[in-house]
Amino acid sequence: MEYALVTGGSRGIGKAICLRLADMGYNIIVNYMSNDDEALKTEALIKQKGVDAILMKFDVSKLEEVDAHVEKWMNDNPEKTISVLVNNAGIRKDNLMVFISPEDWHRVMDITVDGFYNVTRNIVKSMVRKRKGRIVNIVSLSGLKGMPGQTNYSASKGAIIAATKALAQEVGKRGITVNAVAPGFIKTDMTQDINEEDYKNMVPMNRFGEPEEVAGVVAFLVGKDSSYVTGQVISVNGGLYS
Amino acid sequence: MVQEEIIKTVNGFLVQEFEVEESKISSEANLRETLDLDSLDYVDLVVVIESNFGFKVKGEDFLEIHTFQDFYNYCQTKVQEKATA
Repeated sequence: MEYALVTGGSRGIGKAICLRLADMGYNIIVNYMSNDDEALKTEALIKQKGVDAILMKFDVSKLEEVDAHVEKWMNDNPEKTISVLVNNAGIRKDNLMVFISPEDWHRVMDITVDGFYNVTRNIVKSMVRKRKGRIVNIVSLSGLKGMPGQTNYSASKGAIIAATKALAQEVGKRGITVNAVAPGFIKTDMTQDINEEDYKNMVPMNRFGEPEEVAGVVAFLVGKDSSYVTGQVISVNGGLYS
Repeated sequence: MVQEEIIKTVNGFLVQEFEVEESKISSEANLRETLDLDSLDYVDLVVVIESNFGFKVKGEDFLEIHTFQDFYNYCQTKVQEKATA
């Protein structure tokens, strides 16, 4: 049985990705950190699509928590395979550089960069062994262009873009693809403090995007049609930056 | 586990997983050259070792492993460490 693990999968873009991959027939492992109610709702929606849904509550930045859940699950379920990994977990702690506290700097880096390492390492080992796998990292316009007030967030997402390109070259010969998706302004809890009316004029398509529009690109990168696409960053930003 | 058992287990999975002829395996033969290992093959080797013997392997462990005998010794030491832990 094939599973897709989506980190930060209970809400927003992660939730949309879970539901889209469930539509493709994947069983879904939903990682989340805190919001049990939303995770349970997402689990129910996935199960309505006739596939298995497993909730895994852990902090991706803590290696011991990741191993206690993901590695243990892999060891306990040798007949099941995580063939898709979507590294989506991330947080924003925006501020001008001079006002970013050490805590806010490290928390953003820990979740995004350490989280990527902690979750990906064991799973890619399994993918190498099975000669099969799709890894999609959700990055950001901020990691491509750099955004004022987001030095920590831009740095973390830029790091994952570089990691995407490096890992793609490492594991390509085993048939594993590694790509990134860079959303712009997408309507989620994470952007609820950004007024669409104030910012949509910056976007050539004159609107914010929907989480499902990001999930559609992830579905492409997971599906057969992208079998020769790896090491790429695909922007989903309404033309805001190219 | 005595070394004869280690050798039998190791040679068994190397023949099966890396498609090497058993006749080419000897204590003093070079592991990497005989198995024609590239860097990603070491990942396969790690997974096979871990699933057969149940101990964790670090990438740097391979720096000291050159011959099949080195590899047998390494596996035996790790198996003993695990048994006494």
